[in-house]
Amino acid sequence: MSTTTKSDYLLLFRGNVWDRGLSPAQLQKVVSDWMAWFERLKAEGKCTGGHPLEDEGKVVSGKQRTVADGPFAESKEAIGGYFYLTVADENEAIEIAKQCPGLEHGSVVEVRPVAEICSVKQRAEEYSKRELAGARA
Amino acid sequence: MLLFRGPHWDRGLSTDELQQVMDKVMAWFEGLNERGKIKGAQPLGGQGRVISGTDGRFVVDGPFTETKEAVGGYLVLQADSPNEAVEIARSMPTLRYGISVEVRPILAECPIFQRHPELLRRVTDPAAEQLWVAVAA
Repeated sequence: MSTTTKSDYLLLFRGNVWDRGLSPAQLQKVVSDWMAWFERLKAEGKCTGGHPLEDEGKVVSGKQRTVADGPFAESKEAIGGYFYLTVADENEAIEIAKQCPGLEHGSVVEVRPVAEICSVKQRAEEYSKRELAGARA
Repeated sequence: MLLFRGPHWDRGLSTDELQQVMDKVMAWFEGLNERGKIKGAQPLGGQGRVISGTDGRFVVDGPFTETKEAVGGYLVLQADSPNEAVEIARSMPTLRYGISVEVRPILAECPIFQRHPELLRRVTDPAAEQLWVAVAA
């Protein structure tokens, strides 16, 4: 019996104004291709979730916890939605990202591995270990 | 969805400070979890790729962790209102160390598709049609 390790990846779709300048026929094709792509990945068990994000929203930042308004619709970098993938490896995640029907119209897909543990927490643990080692020495 | 941006907020903190902040973050997370506010949350690895161009012909390597805009993790909230989501974002303990939190409503359907409602009825893929019906119901 063989065991297969699966890895989780997040696809972040950037640029949510790619529909500008497309004819109704072109747009219809992208819409139906995109939905068929999502349904196929779900049926194959490779995509376990995904959602579009609304253009409105807020950004919270700083010591004063300032709340600023979106919108996020006007930028090529804005995140418009995501897919959650469970696949064999990074190559498979990249191959799936390459199938995104929005790519030829300017969409950008960021492929990010989902981490077991937050990188800051990992660094904090490494510091503590080093300090402990230093104290023992 | 909360997107946490700026994953290098721990730079310049002492081990003790960092440990304290991490404890606060864990307590914050557990508190939200106990109240049933968290539907999903993951940190993202610093590695990854960016795919762009027709058929995904451009594949650029990360890392994504060096900028203040980089997304270091996400949290899907079950909030009762947009205000509650913003208030939860404002209570994130690492805000004072320079991260920012983007608060984005999750949609059942993509805003680009919403801008062209006539296309939704014309989507030819049967699986997709089923999904739109489910969304409408």
